[in-house]
Order: sequence, then C-alpha cells, then structure tokens
Amino acid sequence: MSAPTPPRASIPRSGARQFAVSVVRQPYIWAVVALLLLIVINLIKDPGYLGISVNATTGNLSGNVIDILRASAPIMMIAIGMTLVIATRGIDLSVGSVMAVSGAVSMEFMNSSGDGSVGGAILAAAFAIGISAVLGAVNGVLVSIVGLQPFITTLITMLAGRGLAKVITSGQNTSASNEPFRWIANGTVFGFPVVFVIGAVIVAIVAVLIRRTALGLMIESIGINPKAARMAGIRPIGILISVYIVSGILAGIAGIFSTASVMTVEVAKTGLSAEMDAILAVVIGGTSLAGGKFSLTGSVIGALLIATLDKTIVFLAIPSSATPAFKALVIVVICLLQSRRVRALFNQRRAPRTPSAPTAPAPTAPRTTRKETVSA
Amino acid sequence: MSKTASFRAFAGIALVGAMALGITACSGGSSAESTGAAGSDGELTTIGFVAVGPEGGWRTANEQNIQDSFSKENGFDLKYAPATNGDQNSQITAFTSFIDEGVDAILLSATEATGWESVLERAQEAEIPVVLLDRGIEPNDTSLYTSHIAPDNVGISASAAEWANAQFPDGANYVVLEGPPGLSVVNDRNKGWDETIDANMKKLESQSANWSTEEAKSVFETILKANNNDVQLVFAQNDEMGLGAALAVEEAGLKPGTDVKIITIDGTKAALTALSEGRLSFVAEYNPLFGDTAIDVVKSALAGETVESDIVVPSVTFDSPEAATEALPTRQF
Repeated sequence: MSAPTPPRASIPRSGARQFAVSVVRQPYIWAVVALLLLIVINLIKDPGYLGISVNATTGNLSGNVIDILRASAPIMMIAIGMTLVIATRGIDLSVGSVMAVSGAVSMEFMNSSGDGSVGGAILAAAFAIGISAVLGAVNGVLVSIVGLQPFITTLITMLAGRGLAKVITSGQNTSASNEPFRWIANGTVFGFPVVFVIGAVIVAIVAVLIRRTALGLMIESIGINPKAARMAGIRPIGILISVYIVSGILAGIAGIFSTASVMTVEVAKTGLSAEMDAILAVVIGGTSLAGGKFSLTGSVIGALLIATLDKTIVFLAIPSSATPAFKALVIVVICLLQSRRVRALFNQRRAPRTPSAPTAPAPTAPRTTRKETVSA
Repeated sequence: MSKTASFRAFAGIALVGAMALGITACSGGSSAESTGAAGSDGELTTIGFVAVGPEGGWRTANEQNIQDSFSKENGFDLKYAPATNGDQNSQITAFTSFIDEGVDAILLSATEATGWESVLERAQEAEIPVVLLDRGIEPNDTSLYTSHIAPDNVGISASAAEWANAQFPDGANYVVLEGPPGLSVVNDRNKGWDETIDANMKKLESQSANWSTEEAKSVFETILKANNNDVQLVFAQNDEMGLGAALAVEEAGLKPGTDVKIITIDGTKAALTALSEGRLSFVAEYNPLFGDTAIDVVKSALAGETVESDIVVPSVTFDSPEAATEALPTRQF
C-alpha cells in the first residue's frame, strides 16, 4: 500500500511516555507479562508467595523469590553466552556438557586435594573455568577457521564433553566438601543469594563490554551479513572465537553454580538439556535465531521466566507426567505472541486507539481513516 | 553379443574361483582358530552386554559386577556396550550389531521399556539367548527372552511403605520424588508404595526429579515452601534424590531424620553413610550384585536347559543408623 508515514511517529511525546512505549514495543514484553502472570497465579494459590522471611535457624533470608533468583543464575549464564553466539548466526549446543565438565573438574579437584580452604575453592573454580574456555575455543576455531557449521561443531563438543566429564570422574558421581565453594551456591550477601549477585555482576560486565564498545555492533554485523562485515573491515575470525570462548566460560560458571548447590557432580545429569533452556531463554527474550540484533536484557528475563516456570510447576503441584506439556504450552504461547505476524495483528487493532491527542490530520490509510472518523 | 556372452562366462568362472579361494581361506582360518582355542583349554563364550552406562552409584556397581563376573577366568569374553546418554537408539544399534557378530548370548539393561519386540525377535531367529538385567520390557512378553533377573521393585517399595505406616500410625503428610515418568522402575516403585501405604497418610505431591540430587533439592525446597514446611515424610525413589531432599530440608532450617523423615531406595554407600549420620531414615536396598545368578542363567540357557523367566534378586532393608554403620565397611557399591 502507498500509505505515508504513520501518524503515531509524528506526534511529540513526553520522555516518560516515550520510555513506556519503547518498553512496550520491546519483543520481550510478553515474557515480562508471562512472568507477572505466573507470579499472580502463585499468589492466588498462596497469598504469601512473595513474602521473604529470615530463617530462624540458619539466619538466611528465605522465600520463593530467593529460590527463583538462585535457580535462575545458571540459566542466566548460559543464556547470555548463547545470545552472543546466536547473534553471530551460530548456536552453541555444548553448554550443558561444558557445565558437566566444569562441575566434574572442580569436584574431582577438590575431592582429590581434600582442601577445604578458600584457596582450594578458587583454584578449583579457576581450573574448571579454564577448561571450559578451552572447550569454547575449540568450538570457535572449528567454526571460524575450519569453517564447520556451528550446529555440527557444537553437537560434537556436546557429545565429547559429556564423555570427557565421565572420563574425569571415571563415570562416578563425585562429591567433595569445601565450605567456601558450597557458599557460592547456597550463601547470601546482604540477603541476596550469592549466585544471583555473581550472575548479575557478570551480566553487567558482559553488557558493558558489549554495549559500551563497538563489539556489540561488530557481533551484530557478522550475524546480519558476514561478507559485508568483512568488507567493512571487521575480522570475523577473532570475534567468532572470542564469542565461543565467552560462551564456554559462562557455561563453566553455570556448571560451578549448579554443582556447588549440592556439592556433587552427576555426570549424566548435570547440565542435561541445559542448552535447550538457554536457547529458549534467548528466544523468549526476543533474539532471532537467524542472527543479528540481540537483546541481553531479554535473555535475562527469559532465564528468570524459565526458572519461575519450573518453580511454579512444583508450587502448584502439577502432576509430574503433565509438567513437560505445561512448560511447552506456556512457551508456545509466548513464542506465538512474539511472532511478527501475531504482533502485527495486535498493532493493527491497537493502532487507532494509541494517539491520545489526535491533532494530526487523518492519514490516507483507509482502515485508520474510517475508525478515526468514528471515534472523533 | 557374443563378446558380452564370453565376457560373462569369464566373469562367472572368475567369480566361482574367487569364491572357492575364499571358502578354502575361511575353512583354513577356522580350523586354525579352533585348534588355537583347544590349546588354551576350552573356547571363551562371547557375551554382548547392552548396558545403560554411567547413571549413578547403583548402575556403576551393577555394571561393574556384571563385567567382573563374566571374566576371562570364568570362561567368558564380555563385550560391554553402554548407551550414549541413555539413548535407546544407540542400544538397539549395539544389540543388532551383537546379533550380526553372532555372539553366544546377549545381556540387556534397557533404557526404555518399550520398543524391543523386533530386535528380540531377530535374536530369537539367530538362536541367541537374551537375558534381561534389572530393567524389564513392556509389553512383558516372556516368549521373547530367556529370563529377567532383577530385584523386586514392587516388593521393595512395599516394604518401605510398611515401615512408613509403622512410623506414623496417626498419619502424616508425605511427598514422592520419582524418576522420569514412563520407566518401568518408576511405575513398579509407585505401585508397591501406593498399594501398601495407609489411607491416613496424605500424599501432597508426586514430582519427578529425574534421579538427580540437584533437581531433587530444588524441587523439594519449593514443596516445603508451598506447604509451610508441613511435610513429615519423603519417599525418594533413589538414593541421589533422597540426599538432595535432605539438603533442602537442612537449608530450610529443619532437621532431616527428626522433622522430615526420608526414605530412599538403592542402598549405595553414600546413602548408608547419610543413614548412619541420621540424615536419612530408611534405606531399602535394591541389590545390584547379581552377576553370579546371571552366569548360572546364561550357562543353563546355552546348555539348552529351561530357565525360569522371572528371577528375583533378594534385597535387604536398613532402618537404623546402627544397621547402616554395621553394613558400611563391607559395602561394595
């Protein structure tokens, strides 16, 4: 159609309003709505759902919100890494296995050294993150220099990674005792769970690195059109390798989070199908799997939503055989609401009502004209 | 025309010649082999073991025991094929390649209960006896396999429920932490429990924690919050999940063993240690050490004798820290 610029764009607005509108227009708005909806459902079941109390015996804050924040931390880590990889048109299926490797390395290290000190915990974590970074680098080199497809490459590391975790622990679920390491997942600082604080700090660091420098733009440009990016002087190899390394490191941190919670690595279970949660969080957050533009905020919200959803299922006592169906249903609805076509449908219906002060002359688009004359 | 005909004739002769050579080579090889085997005091029986692979303490103990029992000293050559990440397809592939190799017998611990009919029929055609270890198949068609050796899941969880009835004569609120829905183990353990547990015991929730400590901890901390800590009993269908529940109880500031009693099934070292410390309350063993029984079954099947199609491995229960402490030093798994 030969419609001119829509009238909404030409109307001047106040800053707050503009902000509100820009938030509502974010692709992850439906994830926020779903998150609030889940909390409301929980509140209906138990009005005290959001209550936070101090536990008399342990002295820690306790409450459902705290649990959700704690459970969301590992998902947040892998989702952030996955967002960057997906923005370059790639995918990282190996995050779950890297979690298992990282957990296996740290548990095995602390188990054999028998060191319960802070130093032992830091050494174990550093060792685990180092190996995760190496695995990420392998992915990056295979994708960027060798030119293998990201899907295949990371599928290989996914299978090999879990195998590696089994080799490291000789197939056993390995436990260790180290109080500082356990504190990472179970302790609190200023009332907040340590995992969530660490996670939030890491997200902030990544966000600053990506958004305050040209790095984010370069990643997006590789995702949108690798050839044009190269012509413009961006070297894809270095950026691709570092993106996969970052994803590996973040998966390693997620592995530490999830094994520290029980101080046991379960080689067949730790991080199992975590890549699916990560991809879901990214998609729910509004980043397209086709690469290009990405939203770190969206992925964080996606991670929070998945954690809330998991907790809600248990809180509502949904029978275990129905849980996967329930989870799938919620996610399908969110994805549907986010799809461009469905959104366009909504916008069309909402368009006439948005301008509160219809001072602009009626545009030539026939449908709008008709409705505006009716409302005027 | 005549040219192609003569070529065909030539090709035919060449083919026959090659086959004849091949056959003589074959027979030569086999005769050499048999003499070699005779020299080393009887031929080894080849066994294919389609296994689950690393899954937890119990599985490791079970598969290690099978591998140790079917040793070269006992006259067996065991080929161990664990599943890739619990995938049934990889098991079926391993199973068919064992048939093609022509092993003498196949041991199978299936990751999924259903979908085994066609490969089991192929094994039957090849006259290879199949012995199911631990995990059964569904539908349970006993004509498809030689024997199924396993501890009795229904009986074990029934004994756990009897203990719970005795502990809480006035009733209590309880939660079941089960394995992934659909497994025969999960169905059997649910069946034994549900049939035996008293009516005054109130089931608050039954959730899957996928056999995992981490998931069980996360699930149970939420269940405790949803019920304001008003849970007196947990029936965890394996040790790992029970240990996870114990961690969640401790995190909530309660004391496992007194505030919340936890029942687990399997009886691994980790669980018995926790029981001896009072963190668990009841551990029902699911005996993984039945390698000797499996050897007897395989031997009599190969000798052409009839074997019982369902063999129950005896298991014991531990209901006190003392019993656990006593059993710990000699625990093999």
